[in-house]
Amino acid sequence: MRSSWPGSPSTRSWSAVAEQYPRRLFLGRAGSLALASMLTGCGIEGTLEAAKKAATPVPTVTHPKVPIGDWTWSNWPLYIDKKVLKAFDKAYGGHVKYVEDINDNDEFYGKVRQQLQQGTSIGRDIVTLTDYMVAKWVRNRYVQAFDKKNVPNFYANLEENYKGIPYDPKRQFTAPWQSGATGIGYNPKKTGRELKSINDLFDPAFKGRVTMLSEPYDSACSVCLTMGVDPTHAKIDQILAAIEKISKANDAGQFRRFTGNDYATDLTKGNVWVALAYSGDLVQLQSDNPDLQFVYPEEGAMTFTDNMMIPQHAEHVYAAETMINYVYQPEVAAKIALYVNYLSPVKGVKEIVERTDPDLANNPLVFPPDEIRARLHAYPALSDADERQMKEAMAQVTGA
Amino acid sequence: MSLNARRRLLPWLFLGPGLLWLLIFFLYPLVNQAAVSLMTGDPEHGYTLTWAFHNYTDAISNYKEQFGRSIVYAGVATILCLVISFPLAYFTAYKAGRFKSLILLLIILPFFMSYVLRTVAWQLILSDDGWVVGVFQTLGLIDENGRLLATSTAVIAGITYNFLPFMALPLYVSLEKIDRRYIEAATDLYASRTTAFRKVTVPLALPGIFAGSLLTFIPACGDFINAALLGTPRQYMIGNVIQSKFLNILDYPTAAALSFTLMVFILIGIFLYARALGTRNLTEAAI
Repeated sequence: MRSSWPGSPSTRSWSAVAEQYPRRLFLGRAGSLALASMLTGCGIEGTLEAAKKAATPVPTVTHPKVPIGDWTWSNWPLYIDKKVLKAFDKAYGGHVKYVEDINDNDEFYGKVRQQLQQGTSIGRDIVTLTDYMVAKWVRNRYVQAFDKKNVPNFYANLEENYKGIPYDPKRQFTAPWQSGATGIGYNPKKTGRELKSINDLFDPAFKGRVTMLSEPYDSACSVCLTMGVDPTHAKIDQILAAIEKISKANDAGQFRRFTGNDYATDLTKGNVWVALAYSGDLVQLQSDNPDLQFVYPEEGAMTFTDNMMIPQHAEHVYAAETMINYVYQPEVAAKIALYVNYLSPVKGVKEIVERTDPDLANNPLVFPPDEIRARLHAYPALSDADERQMKEAMAQVTGA
Repeated sequence: MSLNARRRLLPWLFLGPGLLWLLIFFLYPLVNQAAVSLMTGDPEHGYTLTWAFHNYTDAISNYKEQFGRSIVYAGVATILCLVISFPLAYFTAYKAGRFKSLILLLIILPFFMSYVLRTVAWQLILSDDGWVVGVFQTLGLIDENGRLLATSTAVIAGITYNFLPFMALPLYVSLEKIDRRYIEAATDLYASRTTAFRKVTVPLALPGIFAGSLLTFIPACGDFINAALLGTPRQYMIGNVIQSKFLNILDYPTAAALSFTLMVFILIGIFLYARALGTRNLTEAAI
């Protein structure tokens, strides 16, 4: 805030000022001065400028080896076997502060947006976000490129189908953490029948017993599949039509809630019979309630990848790279896969899991067979304006 | 410095810390958000101040339902809190004897646990297969396929539970402060116990009722945790909208406009309430 105080305050004592003006007037003037200075030059900067600046080619970076120190990693809840963190601390020294503070991509972005835009540190050395949000961070250069020499395992062991993605073709900024699919989680004992279609979410027999994901990239895109639209190449109008379908069902009381990961409690407690759910969650929930089932819908399923990224101005870049390199060792990746039950992007994991836990290696939720893989669809690449239109339409439906 | 000047300076010195606090943490954000509420733009191009007063009319017409719900839910919860707290505070103040501190401790005990966690506990208590719903179904209070969770009842119950101490404690303080001799005098003058209660106790407890109602109603109006955890989109309050506008959609102007509209609604409400209760001024309640 610019100061607009008349004259230098140091030359005039407060009492002198107070004597000169009656108190009320003084307060009034000081108030209006402050007000004026707060309003002038007011505005909130957009992200477009930064994106333009960032479009320059990425220089090769060198991050020298330094002690690991105390560093921070933000991730989603229940998304790692914490023993891996302890082993890392022990092997490389320092201490990783592992925070499970990402519950929703947009909400997390909303929280750190100001710092990113002002070009200050967000106090985290690795963040783990999902495709479309990753695309935004890469586009705006909120992230730093990896020093290739520090992450050899990553470039050697990344599964082929993760290479050459549109938002980071050379994988300079983003290292896949885990992938998963959006499908139907349900309790056959409650529904009384087997479910296999996304349209089952709209069956009036389950009125008030269904949850829908509030994230339109998951929900609207899944519903696109029921309308014969390929979500990866969907136009905004087609996505809006899918949201309209969700809205109609919602008005009829079909959906109990719109959720993030928090459908889990409702589903295990039996409050909800059918949920649009994430594959890995269901494997974990099955241990609480063995009745629960997950199906890849016959129309196909959306697949997502969460990526590790090093935010701009992170203080412990070398530590972050060391960790990325560490989790790209097949043995470590296998340990994580056994715990989180999502799809691992690391080569050689299945072979290790086959030895240690043959049951899991045969679980299609963790290692989907090729015929299921063929039915998985990636998120569409929407422009900022289209994305906002989609989010706003969905927010209208979810009532927020 | 002359004695005179020092005398004039003194009140400022005392006011200083509080005033500075208010300026930095209240006035500045307030003015800032007022400016934001009149901006237009989008997250990519940024927002600029264009004195867009239509932000307010748009916000109100788009979200009048959620506004209505906030006022109704908070209002009903405040009344329920009052009905539950009054006997509780009365008993604690006059009849509890040596159990007084224990009861007060029990009232504030839930505060030792996180707000969100307490509300999640209600999720479990009210779950469809839980015993509460079972008992209600057996008694015929809700039908066989009915539910408590994800209804307005659950949201109001949650708010009532979470804000009860804010009503009970001010009530207790104002009841406790009443000079018992007034009541004795009333009965000496042939007032029945009910008349004495109605004409002496309640009027003297008014500041507590007023303070308690404000402490319950104001935060309850802006609450979004209860609606998010115990309700559905059909129960969302204005707090849910503001939260999602600020954090998810990044539509800062609408969020700010909604916040200011809520503030104005609440201020008008308080003013009318103060007039109705005959409180001479708002600060009286706090004393």
